[in-house]
Amino acid sequence: MNEITLDLLPQDCFEHIMSLTSSPQDVCRLSLVSLPVRSMADSDSVWERLLPSNYEEILSRLVSPLLYSSKKELFSRLCKPQLIDGGRKVFSLEKSMSKNVYMLCARELSIQWASHPLYWSWKPFSQSRFAEVAELRTISRLEIQGSFHTRLLSPRTVYGVYLIVKFAGRAYGLDTLPSEVSVEVGDFRSQGTVYLSRRESKKQALECMDFVKAMRSKVFQERQGPRERRDGWIEIEMGHFYYGEGEEEVKMCLKEVKGVHLKGGLIVEGIELRPTKQ
Amino acid sequence: MSSTLCCSFAKNVTLRSSDGQTFEVEEAAAQVSQTIKRMIEDGCTGSVIPVPNLTGPVLALVIEYFKKHSPPSDGCPTALLEMEIKDWDAKFVAVDNDTLLDLTLAAHYLEIQGLLDLTCHRVADILNDNSVEKIREIFHIKNDFTPEEEAEERSKIQWAFE
Repeated sequence: MNEITLDLLPQDCFEHIMSLTSSPQDVCRLSLVSLPVRSMADSDSVWERLLPSNYEEILSRLVSPLLYSSKKELFSRLCKPQLIDGGRKVFSLEKSMSKNVYMLCARELSIQWASHPLYWSWKPFSQSRFAEVAELRTISRLEIQGSFHTRLLSPRTVYGVYLIVKFAGRAYGLDTLPSEVSVEVGDFRSQGTVYLSRRESKKQALECMDFVKAMRSKVFQERQGPRERRDGWIEIEMGHFYYGEGEEEVKMCLKEVKGVHLKGGLIVEGIELRPTKQ
Repeated sequence: MSSTLCCSFAKNVTLRSSDGQTFEVEEAAAQVSQTIKRMIEDGCTGSVIPVPNLTGPVLALVIEYFKKHSPPSDGCPTALLEMEIKDWDAKFVAVDNDTLLDLTLAAHYLEIQGLLDLTCHRVADILNDNSVEKIREIFHIKNDFTPEEEAEERSKIQWAFE
């Protein structure tokens, strides 16, 4: 009797296996098994399922169209950040989970006093994906808000919201008080506090204070402080939310309005919404 | 005794495997397979139903699955029964890898969606949990890449692991 092997399974049977639990990385790994397995694992029908369900809409919103010869190639292209919506947002795919990631540029956000050149300046920045970034000259009231429609997100996913920034050499006043951050979707509201930038010498004393504060109120959570990203920018966690399905608006806010002191040197690239690793 | 309670005995059909073994099974149970259901509806019930893609041992396993998954005669399945069936399913596919692939193919040919999901899930788990070399070993796959081709292939998928 002929032994049945994996590469003799019918294509639709193989696709069914791939669609059940395999991540894009698992499917890529399988293409190394043998030539027949590769031809099944590389097929458009396997990769079509791995692409986000709204990928055609994403393609129609790209600033520069993508050339691709297979769905697998398209998938790999979309894993690299792509400008959409006239260059005001960036889309990319999180490749291990095949989920949608978005970044809104600073111009898409509502930054208080941003049109007043005394407080904020808008300028091109060579290390940014976008045409312009906003640099805080000096202000006492820092307030940055953004909103985004959930329809474009991957359903049944926990998303993290991050403010993407850099600090100018002259940055000051940003680590005196923590900023209040919040993320709202429908009835859900997550709020907390976060330090935009912290000097090491201050850190311990502040941690003691935060601990006492955290004990008093469990609703407020201190977010993880600024973290350096692989792209050279720094991200500040604003909160998390779970997106099930349907259409709602995500409202995101970061503000530090309690301190009357002046602060400056914050360079804002935008806000990123990305799935958190489970 | 039962004949006084029930208006008719359950109707049986006979299935014949590729190697000529025959099995008798209740018609209602065999209809878990969409392929067999269609054959019965087309009027093949009088004679033996050939199942040329399955050997005797595999068909015997599939019939076990039929029996467990035949619709209950007394109405809706309870949550308890569903849980028991789920446990049974997990044990049912805890077979050696060759049998697992045989069952996958059988479920595909006979259009048994539940069994196909069950076996495909298990195959997917094995594929996700093992290295390329181990996958070849488990499923008897000959590596037909030359070392150069394999190296090239590895560089082509590098993007997924960066």
